[in-house]
Amino acid sequence: MLTQLLLQVAVAVSILLSVALAGVVGRDRLSLLREEWKSRLRTSAPAIALLLAILLLNRIMRQQGRSLSQEYGVHMTEVFYTIEGEFVLLFQAIASPEANAYFSISYVYGYVFLLIFPVVAYAALPKTIDFRRLLIAYSLNYAIGLVFYILFIAYGPRNVFVEELTQTMLYDNNPQVQYLTTEVNRNTNVFPSLHTSLSATVATFAYQTRSTYPRWFPIAVCLSISIMVSTMYLGIHWGIDVLAGLALAGFCVSLSTYLVDRWSLTAILKQVRERVHEYRDTVTTPSQKNS
Amino acid sequence: MLAASVGLSVSTSGCLQHVRSIVNRNEVEQLSLTITTLSADGDRESIQLAQDISATLETAGIDIEIDMQSREAFRRSVLINHDFDIYVGRHPGDIRPDFLYETLHSKFADESGWQNPFGFTNLTFDTYLDRQQRAGGEEREQAVSQTLEALALEQPFVPICVPHEFRLARTDRFDGWEQGHLATRMGYLGLDPPTTEEAVLRAVHTDSRPSQNLNPLAVEFRNRGLITGLLYDSLAVPRWSEGGADAGGSDEETDGIEEDDDRTYTSWLGTDWTWNGNGNENENENETGDERTENGSSTDTDTDPDIELNPDADLEPTGTLTVTLREDCQFHDGHELTADDVAFTIDFLSDTTRDDSEFPAPSPRYRGHVDPIADVVKQGTYELEFTCTASEPVAKRILEIPILPAHIWDERTETASIPAITVADGTTEALITDNLPPIGSGPFQFENRTEREFVTLERFDEHFTRRESVALPEPSAETLRIRIDPRSTSAIELVETDDADVTSLALESYVVDDVLAAESEREQTSDADPLEVIESSTGSFYHLGFNARTAPFSNPRFRRVIARLIDKEQLVSDVFYGHARPIAAPVTREWTPDSLAWTGTDPETPFLGTDGELDVEAARAAFEEAGFRYDDEGRLRVRY
Repeated sequence: MLTQLLLQVAVAVSILLSVALAGVVGRDRLSLLREEWKSRLRTSAPAIALLLAILLLNRIMRQQGRSLSQEYGVHMTEVFYTIEGEFVLLFQAIASPEANAYFSISYVYGYVFLLIFPVVAYAALPKTIDFRRLLIAYSLNYAIGLVFYILFIAYGPRNVFVEELTQTMLYDNNPQVQYLTTEVNRNTNVFPSLHTSLSATVATFAYQTRSTYPRWFPIAVCLSISIMVSTMYLGIHWGIDVLAGLALAGFCVSLSTYLVDRWSLTAILKQVRERVHEYRDTVTTPSQKNS
Repeated sequence: MLAASVGLSVSTSGCLQHVRSIVNRNEVEQLSLTITTLSADGDRESIQLAQDISATLETAGIDIEIDMQSREAFRRSVLINHDFDIYVGRHPGDIRPDFLYETLHSKFADESGWQNPFGFTNLTFDTYLDRQQRAGGEEREQAVSQTLEALALEQPFVPICVPHEFRLARTDRFDGWEQGHLATRMGYLGLDPPTTEEAVLRAVHTDSRPSQNLNPLAVEFRNRGLITGLLYDSLAVPRWSEGGADAGGSDEETDGIEEDDDRTYTSWLGTDWTWNGNGNENENENETGDERTENGSSTDTDTDPDIELNPDADLEPTGTLTVTLREDCQFHDGHELTADDVAFTIDFLSDTTRDDSEFPAPSPRYRGHVDPIADVVKQGTYELEFTCTASEPVAKRILEIPILPAHIWDERTETASIPAITVADGTTEALITDNLPPIGSGPFQFENRTEREFVTLERFDEHFTRRESVALPEPSAETLRIRIDPRSTSAIELVETDDADVTSLALESYVVDDVLAAESEREQTSDADPLEVIESSTGSFYHLGFNARTAPFSNPRFRRVIARLIDKEQLVSDVFYGHARPIAAPVTREWTPDSLAWTGTDPETPFLGTDGELDVEAARAAFEEAGFRYDDEGRLRVRY
């Protein structure tokens, strides 16, 4: 069932991707990417490595961090409920089978597409700066999100509004979806909403690059808003989680801009190499004298 | 100058005295309490009960906070650390009322596990429990009624309801689901077809804990012992009363249990057992035509010096239970299972340190089963004699414990150590080990697992049920694959799409109506879909527990008023959609005394209001009558 479902998602997302790549990025950029991908990959290698490392850490820590979190984490469910009350239930006003389908699709397929598309789109640009910034912003989102997940234990609204959300709960309408989203097992990871922060990150990048990819900007904004609403509509996140997600996105985007090109790894390597050379010279010179 | 200061101090001393007597009085504050419960992902009904109850209590002027926890964390707070005010959850219960002894006796108030998590201590109540423990025959029924009536009066916990259990099974690959209870090992044995090579029985389990830990003693991870029962053998198997006493729909009273051996236990690892009562009642009942003639009133002569379980000198032994084991049985690792392992298990459950430590660390599970066993004497490789301090039916609970291999558990007596973390004394390795792989002697052996995904068990071909000469239900499937799937909806889907054969845990109440509707639709259209809804009885019940160690929960008057704020009838229809039986006594129907039978309302603590709507004035009056006070803003004030 899982493989079947994964295949389903893969097929759907690849169709979306190919259409969007053709329509948004254009053939010229893609063919250029085919020629230059090696050199662009080399420039971006540190950012790619960082993202992969963070994703791996995220995977390990979501399992291992659980016990740590259970031991030392702060329980926040009641606090969130006290602050925002029944805010998320507002979205139940638009509840309908069509809305269920739309938001479930946005949450699962839309989200995957939204995260993957800009990676390819920015890799297709001759200048790798946006590509690297994006990867760093993703890494920051995951890394900071992980810390929050360990610090705060909070259950999503579906655990509080059990009765009210039965109709729109993602896991009851599309039971198979839970195999994909790991949240159902780690149901205490709600603050902040990573779905929100990553979507908002992508939307902000789309805004910043709107002159390059004018068609992508409106798509990204619509999709990311749909995803944010879906997290609350489906009873997965609190309004506060979404707000925190937005703040996290803002922070990660600006930090990524600040960090990228601040230190060039090649420059550092070059410097190190020079130092080593100098050192070798100073060591070898006296020894030559002695002999 | 001096005179002035003396004069000053004299003149102020009266005032200071006054101030001190004001300051030294603790403030009477609004009652603010936390209801500890499970999250909806862990137990949907518990959180809904907690929410409904908290809403009612808030209208009565109590400040409530709900603390949702995961399954393990909940049990750790409530059963081990006793760190709660009030909790709402499910008690494993039992089909016989003997569990009440360890649940409420004050001598267990300090232990962890399901024995007295409430910290309820009441000497009068203890005498009822002691009487229930030791009484036989008709006196036993009276004693049980007396305990239950006292319980209804004291309300150490508020029994809420017994849910009806429904499971969904496919009948095209395996059939015969109704032969054994699906919450016990017997539900998965003796299925048709009888022996299928390479067949995989696919169960879908909505609780991920078995994939994380398979320690039969770990109370945080165990529910009602289904998987423990598949991996470990007990001496005998308790029989469920025929006809499903708590099955939904029928409101007919079933016959009271007759205290007849043939009807209460079936032989399993033990082939037969004999009870020799001390003193006047010298009943001698055999299970399966026992030929030995053992004279009664046998007191132990050659006591094993290592095994001294109950040093309580007050308790005269009531009799002995002689058990004969099945011969040539072995554990999954090939070690032979003998009387030594049985004696070891009983000793170990009463003290997992085995006298190594300064004080005993009893197992949090099976405490009530081993408590009435005062002494164990081995009488050969396959025979044991237990000296008991309880009546025959209570003493026989010892037949239900899982037999642990001595050669493995003997090494788990040390206090567990984790680097850099201080471990509470008495936390032996045995209590915290995940016990992977579990080595038992049961009909299935552990194969592998992936955390939160699945647990695979393989048929244990050496198991005695596989022998030609043994006419007990045997494992028919070669492999039992337990898939973890956290929600009932998806579990149902797996069974419907032929990805699973049975839902091993009961379905959540909110899906039951859909499942039943689908079932009747199948019947009407005579659809060939091989699905079957299985309804089973249970002794497990939902309840609200008080931490009677602290004020105001230590006050029975307070507890009684709280009990009267809970509309069990309404909760059953709101939370369980009617698929539960509201209760005043936490036992099965046949053990419920007439005085506590449900009559549309609680016979002892009727709800203060109608149709779930609390009569706030009446609630206030009840609290005030119990000696509590309300302030101008309608808040209940208590002194902690």
